[in-house]
Amino acid sequence: MSTGALQLLLLACFTSPFIAGNHLLTAPHPNVLEIGTNFTASCMIINTTEVTSDDLYWIASETTVPKEQYTKVNNTTLNVTIQVSGENSEEWLFCRSRKVSNYVELHEADFVHAILLRKAYSPMKPENLSCIALLKEDKIAATVTCSWNTVGRQINKYPTMYTLHFKIHWMDINYNVKTNETSATVSMDVFPFYMEVHIWVEAHNILGVVQSDVLKHNADSFVKLPPVDVMILSESSFPTTLLLNWSRPIAKQYSAVITYEIRYCQSGANTWTDVPTADIREDIESFRIQDLVPDTVYVIQLRCKKKNDYGYWSDWSTNATQRTLEDRTFYDDTNRFNIVCDSVCQGCFCLPHPRDPLSTNGKILRFDVSIQEHKDKAMIPGSKLELSVPVNRSDDSTTRRPVTALKEILLKDKTAVRVLVFAINSVGKSPRASLIIPEKELNITPGVLPRVESMRAWPDDGKLWVEWKAPNDHHVTEYVVEWVTGDVIDWQRENRNTTKTFIKGDLQKFVRYTVSVYPLHNDWPGSSASVQAYLEEGAPLQGPSVRLKGKPGRSEAELVWSIPQSSLQGFIRTYIISYTSGMVPSNTTTYTLTSLIGNTKYDVWVTATTTVGSTEGNTPGEIEWIVVGVSFAFLFVVIMTVLLCTYKKDMIKRNFWPEIPNPGESTIGNWSPDYSLRAEAPKENCLSGISVLDVDACDEKCVFEEDKPGLPLKKDKYLSEEHSSGIGGSSCMSSPRQSVSDSDEGGDIADTTASTVQYSSVVASSGYKGQTPNFQPQPSQTVFLRSESTQPLLDSEENPDLSQEGSRQSQCFLRHAAGNRNSFNQLLETEQPEDLENLDFCPLEEDTQQLSSEDQVTEHCSASGPPSSYTPQLGGYRPQ
Amino acid sequence: MNGHVKSMCCPRFMELATSKFLFVAVSSNQQCGNLQPTLKLTRLVQKESVDLIKTYKAAQGEMSELFCKVPINNVPDPNISGLESSERIASIYTNLQAFLAHLKRVYEQQLDLQLPTSTLLSKLHQFSTFSGNLAGRVSGLYQTLFPNLPVPEPAGPTTLPPPQNVFQQKVYGCVVLKIYKEFLSNVLQELRTVKSQVCRRAELNAPFF
Repeated sequence: MSTGALQLLLLACFTSPFIAGNHLLTAPHPNVLEIGTNFTASCMIINTTEVTSDDLYWIASETTVPKEQYTKVNNTTLNVTIQVSGENSEEWLFCRSRKVSNYVELHEADFVHAILLRKAYSPMKPENLSCIALLKEDKIAATVTCSWNTVGRQINKYPTMYTLHFKIHWMDINYNVKTNETSATVSMDVFPFYMEVHIWVEAHNILGVVQSDVLKHNADSFVKLPPVDVMILSESSFPTTLLLNWSRPIAKQYSAVITYEIRYCQSGANTWTDVPTADIREDIESFRIQDLVPDTVYVIQLRCKKKNDYGYWSDWSTNATQRTLEDRTFYDDTNRFNIVCDSVCQGCFCLPHPRDPLSTNGKILRFDVSIQEHKDKAMIPGSKLELSVPVNRSDDSTTRRPVTALKEILLKDKTAVRVLVFAINSVGKSPRASLIIPEKELNITPGVLPRVESMRAWPDDGKLWVEWKAPNDHHVTEYVVEWVTGDVIDWQRENRNTTKTFIKGDLQKFVRYTVSVYPLHNDWPGSSASVQAYLEEGAPLQGPSVRLKGKPGRSEAELVWSIPQSSLQGFIRTYIISYTSGMVPSNTTTYTLTSLIGNTKYDVWVTATTTVGSTEGNTPGEIEWIVVGVSFAFLFVVIMTVLLCTYKKDMIKRNFWPEIPNPGESTIGNWSPDYSLRAEAPKENCLSGISVLDVDACDEKCVFEEDKPGLPLKKDKYLSEEHSSGIGGSSCMSSPRQSVSDSDEGGDIADTTASTVQYSSVVASSGYKGQTPNFQPQPSQTVFLRSESTQPLLDSEENPDLSQEGSRQSQCFLRHAAGNRNSFNQLLETEQPEDLENLDFCPLEEDTQQLSSEDQVTEHCSASGPPSSYTPQLGGYRPQ
Repeated sequence: MNGHVKSMCCPRFMELATSKFLFVAVSSNQQCGNLQPTLKLTRLVQKESVDLIKTYKAAQGEMSELFCKVPINNVPDPNISGLESSERIASIYTNLQAFLAHLKRVYEQQLDLQLPTSTLLSKLHQFSTFSGNLAGRVSGLYQTLFPNLPVPEPAGPTTLPPPQNVFQQKVYGCVVLKIYKEFLSNVLQELRTVKSQVCRRAELNAPFF
């Protein structure tokens, strides 16, 4: 910075305080601005020519006001117009100079001036002014409380206050109450009865005052009078009326005319019945409610209001409850009873069911019944029976009209019966109700009238409609429509011309009703026609429970399912079986699944569908298709057998078709009878592949593990503990598992013996079947291994010639890959087909293990020298 | 005295009332509407006066029955003066104003004779208020019935009795209440008469409004 500039700056600093005031001046400075209005401000340049109005600008809310809102008045004055907005109650509007000069910089504070904008909302006119005066003891309190609604907004710093004005007209009396709330109470010395009052509210804040509409009414119009001393009385000899008494809430001189409203309902009902206003005179203090039902509890309420257009209805009085008196039961043929013969009669009895009338007019104490027999339709009187059926009914049975079973009537052949019923309550005896049981009903033959035709029932608009065609050429006097579900029975009567009606009883949704229509000729009922229907159908509550019927086949399974009647909720339209999305008719409850893939587990659901919806069975039916790997195992065994035959052809040939020495090539020296054969016997025996071992030599751990793939088809015990217990190949040496037949599992045997069947393992007695024509079975050589199993007994076991019954001697049956063919065939002859399949389940690895073990066992057997089960052929062909 | 009061209070009013009586028919609906609450209020005050006299007698102790039978001067005439309706209503108004002054005096006297919690005091206060309201109502009715006539005002202050002893105060209060009750009965009768005229006329003239 140069020395000259520094001097100039110092000069400015020292001289500026002596310059006369600001160079900018703003105007006007209003007290408060109304939010939403426009405000125009001016900024003037004074005592300087350093800047002009073009150098000025305005800042509001820390934002420069756009130039479009500026108005240049002259070179020294700039106006700006802004809209007063925002939520801040106070805000500054600055006028500044943007010119950059040394002087301006040095006197920056002199080139700023501002206007404080105080903002507020104007008070709005209060609305919905209303006033109320309450009764205090027996007089009107000298207070009037008024309330109103506020309109518009206000800022907390400048709140709106309200003044309630209460002026008694024609008098110079004006009560004022100030508040910042929206209600206020005016207190007076005496309530101004019959004086016209003018009431209004003024809303005022810093911006001004605004007045509500003036309420002009007589002061007593604001009074809210509650009814007092409301009592209800029942009157003797008037069982259909109740007398309501009350008192005037205030003396008559204070309130000349009071109007009332009365409403009532039966106890427990939800809807009120209003007494017509025209029937209620003004200024009364009692009212008789008529046309009520006898012996019924009613609840009555009352409210009142001064008679004028303006004013308040009081709150409804508290419930006044009273029961009407009892009256004689109106019980005649219009409430005639039903007779259940079809379900109860059994050919000789009928059971009349009188139903209580809509209005019993009191508690029915008993039914007096008169049963008159008649010889024929001409009603020639026969024997007569009179009885009384007491009724003990609780008071809470109000939801339905109770039905009382009277007495089973013994019906004789060719005799009609007329039943007369009288209902008795505390007041007296009702008119009679009668019905005739025609003689033809006795034999359960069609009645006097044929049944109606083309009957159908369907729900519509929340009602269950019934339609039928009248029987042809028969005179029907009326019809009885009956509906039954479970043990609940009800009915209604229809006139002779009715062929379509809806059931007026209290029907339940999702409940199946059997609807019947009986034609009646005078008192003679005809046969009924029945259909089943629902008031409203729903999806079944639960899906069908599915189970498997029998054993599944290789590629098919038969399913059976059912749904409880109570869970149906509608007519089943279809069942959907999920596994193929197939549908079956609703009358089907079994289905056979076909084209299933073997060795595959299927989960099956059955979905029951009504017209409304469907529900799946909760528990899926699981079918474990263990179509055993038998197929594969069997195939594998066959292949292995073929391979073995191919590669061991010479050995097989040597064993089964040994070379027969040519006698022509023999010498006399070699044909010596003393030739010792004993040394080669063990070797020959093992080579044959079919050995019968003594159980002692093989240890009792010998088991028959032949078909692991077949395990799943066995019993659970067999599955879980992997006990081997079958006919076929055994691996007494290789398998560490114990058979359930083993004697050392006494506990297991005890557990399983009761539910199992003994079966036997059959061992071929000769490896050369057909080559030993003089074969004689030797008990010591043909041994059955008896064990606890579910397998059936073999034929051979039941043949005393071929088995030893009860023998516990086990025998190891060594399977040899190359030498067990004959034994296998022999087993095929003695086992069931299923068991035959089981034979094929022997896994390859088991065989592999057994092969090595068998060698050892064979050696062991040879070492111990057990007796052979057959005489081995040593040294070649022995002459036959 | 009553005739004197009438002739002295508003001679000009009498002239105007007679000449302008035809105006009554112009707004008879509104007049009838104003007449009904005035009639009810008069009935209320009259009924209250009956109760108040009972309360007053009960509060004065022994010989209270005799108090009301003693003749006394300076109490307004219970009769309504005038021939025309306007005159008679004006008479009602001025008499009401006069009775209000007497009721105020009775209240002041009883303040010294009764305990502050006395029911009589509160009833007297309420009764005075009702009476003041009735005067206002009658004034309004007059303005409604005769809008072109000036509101009747008493010619001068009501003459009140000089200072009295306790016995005189008790007698005075009872007489004022008794005469006032009688006056209210007359007012009630008069208003019924006016009602029969105005409201019947309103019914007859109803199609024209």
